[in-house]
Amino acid sequence: MNRLRWRARLFAIALALPVTALAQAVSVVDFSGRTVALDAPARRIVALAPHSVENLFSAGAGGALVGVVNGSDYPPPARGLPQVGSFNAYSLEAIASVNPDLIVMWGSGNGAGTLGKLEVLGIPVYVSEPRQLADIPRDIRALGVLAGTSETGEARALRLEQALAELRLRYGSRTPIRVLYEIWNDPLQTINGDHLISQVLRLCGGRNIFADVASLAPRVNIESVLVLAPEAIVASGMSDSRPQWLDEWRRYPALPAVRNNGLFFVHPDLLERPTARVLQGAQSLCEQLDTLRH
Amino acid sequence: MWIINQAGHRRRARARLLLAALAAALPLCMLLGLACGAVSLGPAEIVAGLQASFAGDAAEQSALIIGQIRLPRVLLAALMGAILGMSGAATQGLFRNPLADPSLIGVTAGASLGAALVIVLGGGLLQGYSALSAVSVGAFAGGALAVVFVYRLATSSSGTSVATMLLAGIAITALAGALGSLLEFRADNDMLRRISLWKMGGMDGANYPRLLVASLVGAALLLALPRHAGTLNALLLGESEARHLGIDVDRARIALITWVAVGVGTSVALVGTIAFVGLVVPHIVRMLVGPDHRVLLPASALAGAILLVVADTLARIVLAPTELPVGIITAIIGVPFFISLLRQRHHYGMQS
Repeated sequence: MNRLRWRARLFAIALALPVTALAQAVSVVDFSGRTVALDAPARRIVALAPHSVENLFSAGAGGALVGVVNGSDYPPPARGLPQVGSFNAYSLEAIASVNPDLIVMWGSGNGAGTLGKLEVLGIPVYVSEPRQLADIPRDIRALGVLAGTSETGEARALRLEQALAELRLRYGSRTPIRVLYEIWNDPLQTINGDHLISQVLRLCGGRNIFADVASLAPRVNIESVLVLAPEAIVASGMSDSRPQWLDEWRRYPALPAVRNNGLFFVHPDLLERPTARVLQGAQSLCEQLDTLRH
Repeated sequence: MWIINQAGHRRRARARLLLAALAAALPLCMLLGLACGAVSLGPAEIVAGLQASFAGDAAEQSALIIGQIRLPRVLLAALMGAILGMSGAATQGLFRNPLADPSLIGVTAGASLGAALVIVLGGGLLQGYSALSAVSVGAFAGGALAVVFVYRLATSSSGTSVATMLLAGIAITALAGALGSLLEFRADNDMLRRISLWKMGGMDGANYPRLLVASLVGAALLLALPRHAGTLNALLLGESEARHLGIDVDRARIALITWVAVGVGTSVALVGTIAFVGLVVPHIVRMLVGPDHRVLLPASALAGAILLVVADTLARIVLAPTELPVGIITAIIGVPFFISLLRQRHHYGMQS
């Protein structure tokens, strides 16, 4: 009996060997500095953040997704994928049950201890944490490598880098424009210089007036906005329409942004998610800001 | 008899002194609040700004800052502080419980849940509003519903039981908290941030429409509650004693609870939850001048207004241009003061 089992196992190994030798081992360094090494490109991927889902699709690996979190609404095919919870309340059991060979987690979003909990499952984990503009193509590239679609990933990343570089070349050194990026009006909330959006502003030749504030998404005083006198106010709001509260600034007619029609809207998903769509957001922002330069 | 008389006399003198001191300090604090901010303005600019904004001429930046930003904000803080302080004093007297504050009967938790509901479910609908935002309406409705529910739970054919009402308030608070947390699972990152910012409270949404709502409710409350001072004093003796004194306790209770619910509901709706003012301000006043509600109610209103005006001024300037949540400051200023008073009076109780 025992012998039979041994023989079966040997046979299985003999069968498996050439397959593993054929499949190419892949490895990348993720955003937490860990090396993620797979014996073969991932075929079954679970992504724990909407931006990771989007970047996987960009990298040509959308077909390998077997699990996503709520809110993964772009591109449209992502909407039909099985859900394993939300980014801050995912189910380890649901993740294990779809039998993934790679988990893409969100470094700061999934909560402390997530990495440890996922590693217990024995499934390789890639940590995604794009904080800089340059991190977005890097993320797409790395995901392409891990999914064995590095050609698509590389091409997409390169295209994104080139397009962003073009925008920077075109607008980056034009007359600087002081910008308030208004996440929300009540309470008045903005972002500081460390935020990705602030980098997009810079790319367009804008300057975040609250770049030096200590916290990433500070609540700020309306008086200081009047003093810093932004030439443009860019609102994102929560939906795809221009928030009405943007016009509340018209109460302050002396504000340069009001005087010169510098009240702009950019869809929040295009600027607030670290994905390839940031290019559309940047384009829209650059063009709108540029209308103030005449 | 003479000794009691003299003690009473001293206490009355002290009460008059405190009321006068508070009444004098409040305008000073409000002036300070007008003078301080992210932008430094000289006294001349402040006067000019006030004049310009009263004249309806708001072109100058200093006039804008004073008239459109600081003045409504300072006034809103004063009104909210007064409402919270007086409501707290009335609640503690009504429930004859030093731990009672308006949040104990479920107003605050209900209002928070109402606001969270609007934030999460409203989503993109949160656009067409300016003055009384949809979130505020949600908060007010939530607070009012919670009180009605708690009151119904505590009322039976034999009357309303204060103990049941407190317990029901705690139960509703827990339930609303749980539902709120449940909602937060449905919320995306943005909504979560908004809910948490809203919960921390703040005066930065101050504008004239809000101030108008606050003034109407505040004026009504500040006039109505002191009329129940005698009832609250009689209730300190005990409920049956109050009945023997010929007081319609049930009617007074309904009136008081309604006013407190309206006042606190409005304050949560307009400026979010600001804990601590309603709980500790009445205690501080009571320790200084005793439990006579004829003094306690107005003095708590004045002290609450002062605390909130000062706290809001600090919230604006400590980390400018970043705003601190005002609740952090009220706790940091008020708690050490409260603790030092507690240490001086080990045997402090409601009966004093």
